[in-house]
Amino acid sequence: MSKMKEEMIEKKAKTPKQKVLRVCLYVFILLMALIILYPYLVMFTTALKSRAEIYAAKGTVFPITWLWQNFAEVWSKAPLLRYFVNSAIVAGGSTLIAILCGIPAAYALARMKFKGQKFFLGLVIISQMFSPVVLLIGIYRVMSTLHMTDSLLGLVFINAAFNQAFAIWLLRGAFISISPDMEQAARIDGCNKMQAMVKVLLPMAAPGIVTTLIFIFINAWNEYTIALTLISSDLNKPLTVGITIFNGYNMIEWQYLFAASLFATIPVIIMFMCIEKHLVSGLASGGVKG
Amino acid sequence: MKKKKKILNVIEPYIWLTPSMLLMAIFILIPIFEVFRISLSKVSKAGVIKGFIGLENFQKVLSGSAFPMVLKNTLIWTVVVVGLSTLIGFILAMVLNNQFKGRKIARAIVVFPWATSLIIQAGVWKFIIDTDYGSLNTLLMRLGIIDKAMNWTPTPAAYFAWECWVGIFVTIPFVTFCVLSGLQSIDNAYYEAATVDGATYWQRLFKVTIPLVRPSLTVSTVLNIIYVFNSFPIIWTITKGDPANRTDTLVTYLYKLAFYNGKSGQAAAVSVIGFLILCACAAVYMVISLGKEGNDE
Repeated sequence: MSKMKEEMIEKKAKTPKQKVLRVCLYVFILLMALIILYPYLVMFTTALKSRAEIYAAKGTVFPITWLWQNFAEVWSKAPLLRYFVNSAIVAGGSTLIAILCGIPAAYALARMKFKGQKFFLGLVIISQMFSPVVLLIGIYRVMSTLHMTDSLLGLVFINAAFNQAFAIWLLRGAFISISPDMEQAARIDGCNKMQAMVKVLLPMAAPGIVTTLIFIFINAWNEYTIALTLISSDLNKPLTVGITIFNGYNMIEWQYLFAASLFATIPVIIMFMCIEKHLVSGLASGGVKG
Repeated sequence: MKKKKKILNVIEPYIWLTPSMLLMAIFILIPIFEVFRISLSKVSKAGVIKGFIGLENFQKVLSGSAFPMVLKNTLIWTVVVVGLSTLIGFILAMVLNNQFKGRKIARAIVVFPWATSLIIQAGVWKFIIDTDYGSLNTLLMRLGIIDKAMNWTPTPAAYFAWECWVGIFVTIPFVTFCVLSGLQSIDNAYYEAATVDGATYWQRLFKVTIPLVRPSLTVSTVLNIIYVFNSFPIIWTITKGDPANRTDTLVTYLYKLAFYNGKSGQAAAVSVIGFLILCACAAVYMVISLGKEGNDE
């Protein structure tokens, strides 16, 4: 409704100057879209070429022969399915743990007042300042002690831990934006705190929770550095590390690298598009409110 | 009654926090502690700690011939990537905040680089800029803009510039969306009032828009400084910090020290130095934002 109205106003009020601005706007948007999509186009067209075509002296933008079978062959050129499953386990597992630990913490931070609240939030922010890369040496030691190097479980825990800050940040923002009145009503009806949270607050905060889930899933799915360092056996590699198999020292199999990359990327982009709106308002509000 | 409840509630919040605290303690706090400990210890090539040696690791790192350059690279990398991506991301958000046909599609396209793994994004750009068969050369030759293949990376500095570009490219979406969410929460009444007062476009931009989106811009800038400073995959994929550390930042440098050269002690010292730099930034930020808050209230 309001959008239509705005469009009508817009149409009415067009002066020549505004028309020029409008054209500039579209040119700008088009240019931006082309630049952003360019690497994806390159991936796509290259994935469809033969190796000879890729390394040919005078290359072409589009494949001369479109080798759709590259997308099928890539699955047998490397244990790609295994990498996919590993990535799914790591991303799914760390999302689950991060959210199960994050919900009670965010709940306490949103609904209770206690000593050390600021301290805990400070700690959460500090944990963000240490990216896993900087702590790799320490992480490696801890994981050796726990016998979790070269294990998917180890990756699950580390990804969960390093996404705690985001989980708490986003969930706390979501919880704060919901009035505690409903929970209090449930408490009066005889629910305890836990029940009030599970039955009243969590369903109401569902969009925020789903956003957090997907965001952590994607972060863990795309993680590279820790996996590169901790995982040594080929069968335990997640996709991000696994696909570098095509990135050999002598010859890079670009067509397979990009075919696998597209398989790894497209589902995540689609997921991301679904949460983009909630995610951004969540990130902004979690930090500002309270 | 209320007071009694309060006493009962004293320890309750901490119970709710326990799972989260345990998770972070084991996998973040202990590694932090370990890194500090290792940075002050003599460590054998196999990684065995052989006792306290004070600041010797730091001395070795700081006197290393490559270190000043690595530090300079890190600084350039962080400032250039965060600065330019914030600027471009802001402009993009302003444009996307207009009503136009295809706005939803445009927003969806901006998501792409954000959702893609850095390792994949870096891999594509490595291919794009390749001199012999890179697709940028192919494209420009086919379009007739150049007639023979250009060497896009004749010097280490050129490589580094490309790495910065990839960094900017993947950082823009986050800024754009943060600013967009800020822009969309601005009440139109502000603009109407400004227009009534006869404000020009630039006056509205600097007196209304920028102050009101500042919180969003702050969130994105603070987070980006941390991420970009610590970013590893882009440089690792494209140059591995080579040749001769010319494109190394602190994180790639410490990775090589730890996992290629078996110098865990020095690598840990680099970690600590990086952390201290970020802490200094955080302290500056705190002082500024606390000062501002004090003024507002």
